[in-house]
Amino acid sequence: MSYIKSFIDFLSAPTISFTLLTVAFPFIFPPSDYFEKKNRQWGVYKLWTNAGGFWVFVLITLFFIVGYFDPHFNLTMTKPDNIPIILMIYSMYFLTWLGMKKAYANDERLDRGEKPEEWNDPDDKVLVWPDLVYIELIALILFMVALIVWSILIPAPLEEPANPAATPNPSKAPWYFLGLQEMLVYFDPWLAGIVFPMFIIFGMMAIPYMDVNKKGEGYYSFKERRVGYFIFMYGWLVLWVFLIIIGTFFRGPNWNFFGPFEWWDPHKVVPLTNVNLSEYVWVKLLNKGLPVNIIARESVGFVAVIGYLFIMPILLAKTKLKHLYDHYGPVRYATLMLFGLTMFALPIKMYLRWMFNLKYIVAIPEWFFNI
Amino acid sequence: MNDERYWNIKLLNKWFAISSVVFMVSMIWMFIDDNDDDFKVYQREFRKMEILKAEEKLDSELEAVKQERVQFEEKLQIARTALDNKQGEIETAQIELDNVSAKFYKANMNFLNAKSIVDAEKYQYETVKIHGHGDELKKAEEYYNGLLEELYELKLKKEDFEGRMLAQDASIKNMQAERKLAEDELNQVLKEVNLVDRKLSKLDRDRMSFANKLGDIVRDLPILDFMAPYYKVEQVVLPDIKYNVNFASVPEVDRCTSCHLGIANPDYVDAEQPFTTHPDLDLYLTSSSPHPYEEFGCTGCHNGRGRGTNFTSATHTPSNADEKKEWEDEYHWHKMHHWLKPMLPTRYSEASCFKCHNDEVQIKGADKLSHGLALVDKYGCNGCHAIQTYPNRRKAGPDLARLNEKVDKEWTAKWIRDPQSFRHNTRMPSFFGQTNNSDEESLKRNETEIATMVEYLFKDGEKFSTRNNRKYMGDAVAGEALFNVVGCKGCHVLEPDPDNLPQVNTLEGMLSKHGPNLIGLGSKTSAEWLYNWLKDPNSFWHETRMPDLRLTDAEAKDITAYLLSFNNAEFEEQDDLEISTEALDEIALGWLKKMYPEKESESRLDAMSYEDKVGYVADKSIRYYGCFGCHNIPGYEKAKPIGTELTVEGSKPVDKLDFGFQHHLDHNNYTWFTEKLKNPRYFDEGKEIPPEDKLRMPNFNLKPEEIEAIVTTILGLNDDKVGESVLASRAVDDPMVYEGRKLIRDYNCKGCHVIDGFGGQIAENYSAPEYAPPNLNTQGAKVQPDWLFKFFKHPMVIRPNLQVRMPSFTLTDEEWNAIIKAFQHWDDNNLSFESEFHVDNSTTEFKAGKKLHELGACNNCHFYGTEFPKQGAQTWAPNLALTKERLHPDWVIEWLRDPQNIMPGTKMPAPFLPDEEILTLPGAESDWGKYVMKMNGDQEAMLEGLRDYVYSIKGKVDITNEIQSYFKQHGYDFESDDEEDEDDEDW
Repeated sequence: MSYIKSFIDFLSAPTISFTLLTVAFPFIFPPSDYFEKKNRQWGVYKLWTNAGGFWVFVLITLFFIVGYFDPHFNLTMTKPDNIPIILMIYSMYFLTWLGMKKAYANDERLDRGEKPEEWNDPDDKVLVWPDLVYIELIALILFMVALIVWSILIPAPLEEPANPAATPNPSKAPWYFLGLQEMLVYFDPWLAGIVFPMFIIFGMMAIPYMDVNKKGEGYYSFKERRVGYFIFMYGWLVLWVFLIIIGTFFRGPNWNFFGPFEWWDPHKVVPLTNVNLSEYVWVKLLNKGLPVNIIARESVGFVAVIGYLFIMPILLAKTKLKHLYDHYGPVRYATLMLFGLTMFALPIKMYLRWMFNLKYIVAIPEWFFNI
Repeated sequence: MNDERYWNIKLLNKWFAISSVVFMVSMIWMFIDDNDDDFKVYQREFRKMEILKAEEKLDSELEAVKQERVQFEEKLQIARTALDNKQGEIETAQIELDNVSAKFYKANMNFLNAKSIVDAEKYQYETVKIHGHGDELKKAEEYYNGLLEELYELKLKKEDFEGRMLAQDASIKNMQAERKLAEDELNQVLKEVNLVDRKLSKLDRDRMSFANKLGDIVRDLPILDFMAPYYKVEQVVLPDIKYNVNFASVPEVDRCTSCHLGIANPDYVDAEQPFTTHPDLDLYLTSSSPHPYEEFGCTGCHNGRGRGTNFTSATHTPSNADEKKEWEDEYHWHKMHHWLKPMLPTRYSEASCFKCHNDEVQIKGADKLSHGLALVDKYGCNGCHAIQTYPNRRKAGPDLARLNEKVDKEWTAKWIRDPQSFRHNTRMPSFFGQTNNSDEESLKRNETEIATMVEYLFKDGEKFSTRNNRKYMGDAVAGEALFNVVGCKGCHVLEPDPDNLPQVNTLEGMLSKHGPNLIGLGSKTSAEWLYNWLKDPNSFWHETRMPDLRLTDAEAKDITAYLLSFNNAEFEEQDDLEISTEALDEIALGWLKKMYPEKESESRLDAMSYEDKVGYVADKSIRYYGCFGCHNIPGYEKAKPIGTELTVEGSKPVDKLDFGFQHHLDHNNYTWFTEKLKNPRYFDEGKEIPPEDKLRMPNFNLKPEEIEAIVTTILGLNDDKVGESVLASRAVDDPMVYEGRKLIRDYNCKGCHVIDGFGGQIAENYSAPEYAPPNLNTQGAKVQPDWLFKFFKHPMVIRPNLQVRMPSFTLTDEEWNAIIKAFQHWDDNNLSFESEFHVDNSTTEFKAGKKLHELGACNNCHFYGTEFPKQGAQTWAPNLALTKERLHPDWVIEWLRDPQNIMPGTKMPAPFLPDEEILTLPGAESDWGKYVMKMNGDQEAMLEGLRDYVYSIKGKVDITNEIQSYFKQHGYDFESDDEEDEDDEDW
């Protein structure tokens, strides 16, 4: 058992788990025919069958049962603050499973030339009362029951009076912001705390204007919009929900990473060896000091960032993504690229950090401007 | 219908029903959960106990008045019967009263009506008087006067009825008076019974009417219980006891009495917790105590979460592992991780006294804290650890400026290496041979460090020599005798066997441990040094607390010989310490590297001569070990203390205390402090650290009791805030009083004298308390301040037959004044200047006093100037010629009235004063003389007369020389005579 536990501890390190998830993701939500083929070949689609759903549910539950009896994970898991995260894991899995199951069923119907399951005759209407309001009322009551029972069984996790001279270690944001806090590990506060959250909100508001594919409206379907599905699910499940889970269960004192079955030792020391891109170029590669001029010093970083955000989309529009550009037009294409590339900047930066200890691409602490 | 709908409505109805029921159940559950507080369970239980107690009390009260009440009840019965006979009369009178009352009511109404009109008209009339003229004015005046007349009529009428009404009422009352009186009398007898009965009727549902019973149930129902519930949270807001929420201090709110219901009630001493009575109601909780509940609450002293209303949320803290287990089983107790200031374990409760009593030396009722504070002072904790609320008054260890005259290098080095091997109970802590520096390498390193430090201390060369020893040594046997009685034992012991030490773990024990245990001096110092030290300690070390006993040269030589006769052979045989050049280089390089780059360090080391290296390492070592925290070392006068500041150490968050790898310890501050004091290097275990960064707090080899006392003190050093009005210093009018008390502690006055009910341990060396230094009870009221000041500056013999001497202390005038203030404060006497007491020797009292004095044969024991007493030296008493200058006249009266009360064990008898009866006996006049007869048995006047006479006695005041020359001639062997006498009697 201890072997399995240390294996899980090993797997859950962000470098490993994030990579595994990222690599596995296209096979789970295949955005192209190649992945679709592999998905079928390896039977990944079975995840969305009743049996698949059941077994994943069993696996998750088994993990928590084992965790409950583990002296270290028990402490993290039974903390009243963390109960919502456990519930979130179940609900996220259940809703994804339900959506995918329905989407696959509809895909088959559509393949057979049938109408989707949700399709109804446009004249066949239902009444707000009782068909909508009644079930809402029942749901409301049951939800109230759940909240009351929860509040009785698990008292509110109140802590000591706030003291600026003695902050808790680790200091954690509310659970719904843990994704943001995890981003802070890789980005400056102005990016991770201000720009990215705004981009998330505006990006989601922009989705209906960018994705004008009429297919799949009003019914579940995967095949008809698999690229959009893939991108959204990656952003949602991996870059947000998964980061919350990491922040909750795997980040301990000093924001160090701890596997679920590890003791949160506040004295654990992790080497801090991060290096800026400018240092890589000027110091390590060219063997000279950093240029005094800030712009010159960070020129490589600026080139990289501008290249990534602005030059690359133009090049792509003329080559690989020409069909997309033609289809979307310049405005929609530019918007999609801005939001999409910003989103993928997160995993890119994470990997640059893990693989090259890269601290900042553009590092101008003098101006509080670091990317 | 149904087919128009998307869902099956009947099914939805069922779901709705089910969910509603579940919702209802959860709501009920919520109510139960919300109202099912622990304190209510306790309150119900306590109510039962209260009923039982009240019933018991009722029974006993009834029993107590059983006899008495019969008589009063009979009386009442008679009065009632008499009243019944007058019933007709009373009824008629009552009708008449009603009638008159009605008429008065009407007349009064009319009067008030008219009066308000007159008031308004008065204003009108006044206005006209100023602005109007002629006719108008006249008219107004007439009108107003008319109204006044009307009002007058009405008033007469009203007063007439009022008078009749009151008379009628009085006559009815008169008729009923007898019964009322009888009733009152009976109630007076039954007062206690009625009180208990009324209480019971509120407590016991069985004694309530149906309606009251119903009300009693309803008042505690959920929601309705917001009005006036019986079972409720009891709380007190404490404006002067603050809780620090970091951004503000808020008043504490204590709800402890919601469960601890009998805490302030002496009836529940034997009750189980949580109902038990507080063990010290004289000091706490009651309104007559100095710490009433309304002002100090519970958390003011005990800490904890005052707002908590269950066992866990009140943050009770178990005293030990067993109790913890018990609580976990019984109350499901667990630690409230987020409450930073949990309740203090009972053994540390006294820590809280410090918040308000921080300037006091010996806090009454807080012996442990006082002990801890005394230890902090004695061990010099605040020499290295700054404590702003308890600053260091003087370096704890001796001045090392002239160390080279006192001891030699070898002794010093061995002493530093292991002080305990020379003096087993020394307060010099052990720096070396500890858990983190006992390995081979450290031993070598430390030896070199010590040797270099010794070199620094002896940089002017050894001036110590035993060559002249003979010149300064007298008779050791005489020295021993003198040592035992002259007063040395007030502060010193001489005890080579650690097992025979007096109990030194308490405040009392510290008195005899004030100075060092004087063992092995023969292996330490020279006769010359010791002799000079005894003769004048202050010239060697200005801040020493060792006083000058005014020893003669011969006496000093005798004591020197005695003290030097003790050797410590084992210590002498220890290997000498030597500097190892290898280690010297290594240590020097280690320190250099802390400041300079590697290469530079090495070249700097190369550039140093051997002497440079020794000096460098010595300096680094002295700074590293912080020797100057306790010792004055030339060159380090301005060095900063090396320890953590402890001013608010008790409030330091636990996570700021480095538990190292000692994971098995409970994570709370007192465990950490305890372990740290037990073994200051404990938390280094398992760590990889260079020698320069190791823990270096020395080991004080403290006893468990001492550790507990010091931990209590550290817990008391916290940032808890209290209001100005509860500070104990407010009760003292002059801050000098505190300074005086500190000086009394610093100079160990209580080693010899009982002061404020404590001290005088030296007495055990004498055959009787009267041969020991005097009890200083009532001293502040006893002596005149200017005399006392003179005496302190130049002590003289007061009690002629005492061998022990009041030493001469080198204190400043300010300090002596503070000490005098302290004594005066204890006895509520704050005058600095007093008028002289003049005696009128022509009064009858004076003459009577003279006679009484003759009869009392005072001169049997007392000196009259240079006139010696008639009896032998063992009963000698102070010189009466000194009285006028020394004593307070008021105090002398109290003293004469009952000497035993003021100085228990004194041989002074109270003078026999004849009362009126004795003076009327035949022959009284010839016995007592005519002046005493005139007193008519007024003993107060006789005492005054006696006092006056004593104040008129003239003679030499300071008879020190006369007494000394007497004893030089006759010796002090009367004490043994005394014992022989007793033996004779036995025989």
